[in-house]
Amino acid sequence: MALSTPAISLRHISKHYGKLKAVADLSLVVHPGEIVGFLGLNGAGKTTTIRILLDLLRPSAGEAFIFGKDCQKQGLEARSLTGYLPGEMGLYPDLTGRETLELLGGLSPQPVDKVYRGELCERLELSERDLHRKLREYSTGMKRKLGLVQAFQADPPLLILDEPTEGLDPLIQTAFYDLLVQIRQRGRAVFMSSHTLPEVERVCDRIALLRGGELVLLSGVAEIRKLAARRVQASFVEDVIVPPLPPGIELVERKPRSWDLRVKGNIGPLVRILGSFPVRDMAIEEARLEDVLARYYREGQHRKGEPREGEQ
Amino acid sequence: MTGFARLLLHSLKRARTLLVAMAVLLAGFQALLISYANSIRISNTFDQMSATVPPFLRELMGPSFATMMSFRGIVCVGYFHPVVMGSLIALTIALATTPAAEIESGFMDLILARPLARHWIVTRTIVLTALCASLLLGAMMCGTWIGLKMLVPSDAGWPSSDLIRSLAINLGLLMLCWSGIAMAIGCASKRRGVAGGLTGMLALTTFLLDYLGRVWKPLEQAARVSPFRYYAPFDLLLGRRLPTGDLLMLASFAAVGFALAYVFFSRRDISH
Repeated sequence: MALSTPAISLRHISKHYGKLKAVADLSLVVHPGEIVGFLGLNGAGKTTTIRILLDLLRPSAGEAFIFGKDCQKQGLEARSLTGYLPGEMGLYPDLTGRETLELLGGLSPQPVDKVYRGELCERLELSERDLHRKLREYSTGMKRKLGLVQAFQADPPLLILDEPTEGLDPLIQTAFYDLLVQIRQRGRAVFMSSHTLPEVERVCDRIALLRGGELVLLSGVAEIRKLAARRVQASFVEDVIVPPLPPGIELVERKPRSWDLRVKGNIGPLVRILGSFPVRDMAIEEARLEDVLARYYREGQHRKGEPREGEQ
Repeated sequence: MTGFARLLLHSLKRARTLLVAMAVLLAGFQALLISYANSIRISNTFDQMSATVPPFLRELMGPSFATMMSFRGIVCVGYFHPVVMGSLIALTIALATTPAAEIESGFMDLILARPLARHWIVTRTIVLTALCASLLLGAMMCGTWIGLKMLVPSDAGWPSSDLIRSLAINLGLLMLCWSGIAMAIGCASKRRGVAGGLTGMLALTTFLLDYLGRVWKPLEQAARVSPFRYYAPFDLLLGRRLPTGDLLMLASFAAVGFALAYVFFSRRDISH
């Protein structure tokens, strides 16, 4: 597999169920060494896309590739490079954790490095005692941890994770994020769906946002954050009159000695304006990713000049 | 060990308790029948027993009725008793709809996300049902022979080993036929309950159709679509050879079912 080959390449993928469009003309590329967050409301088409990549679903149109292997025509080769965590784990309750890992590990031709598996279990706090218990005794979080171990255990070059932190406690979530960072450094690609925006903001390099089966945003996390308006509060030692404000600065609330503003983009122009006033104090809140994403969730429309990459 | 072998072993492990319990029950039932037949043989009350059989049943069984009302006939009843046949077919249907159950539970996602071709899932299920059918029929035959050896003197008119083998082979092919039908339906279904229920209803309908076809002439032709038509234990009891045509017919039902299962499963979307 060439280094330049994308880990995932979706080309005009569509999936219809009768008249219902689950995914429409989706094109997307994920590169090795990259973590891409796949976002969208319930029913947006995230899981459908993931299932097309794994050849569990057949697309109505378009092609999907994993490291250059056609997911439908060369599915075995494609899946041999993939680790998968489903959104809902269909596990047999009468198997122990270890039996489950052995069974699933044995279905892949790649040998599972038991030392690496041990490390994963240790990091995710899945003890030897836990692994010897039947799954019917597992909590939701423990099942999720087991799911993560089975996805990671063969150390595949691509990980497809559907809601990976659902049900995990904050400490294990942190351990999982550290694990993601580590595998990214080793050149592994991760494609993960999530509803948890702080998580996406923390670990993802790029975000792909689906709405109604269509890709409405595909951009780097840093670029998206730039789109977000920052909230600025300024207070003054005496009453001031509001001057005309340049585009990108919006006055949300005005009191005689304080302004509440929303600034989009560069904050320089506002600082220059405030320099001519008797400022007592100024507070700037960091731009929040969710402010931008919430807007996309609601509106789901492409905006001219805003980042949206398509096929690469 | 290959992924296929691992999956087969896993499925066998999952079915082992049910299989062992059923094997013991069926073998025990055989031994019980032999004990019962032996008690009638000793008291020589076969005629009294024949008198209790309703006329329509006598008519249905035709010339084989006399054979049935003998030690040999009663020993062989286990191979065509409706409850035994029903239990074996129900187990076959349950095993053959394993793919639908795995889709429903979400386990199939975990299996097929691995580099395992879909046809191995179908092949695993065929091998699983064939192995389980062989095991259960083997247990029945063991039960028969152990029962005869332990409970009845050898000059009591034992059924021949050929007869027992022929009954088991014919019943085994009937089970395989229903496994093919259940797999074809199961590989196109999302829910095991739906697939199992549908196949069960079909089995019951075709069983009744076969029965009606035997007693009511106008339905005789239509009854040919019933797989039960090709299992004729009474003919075997009368000393006829294992009918190759009937066996081929049952094998054809099974083969068509398996072929459809491969096609349906390779083309379908896996979603639960």
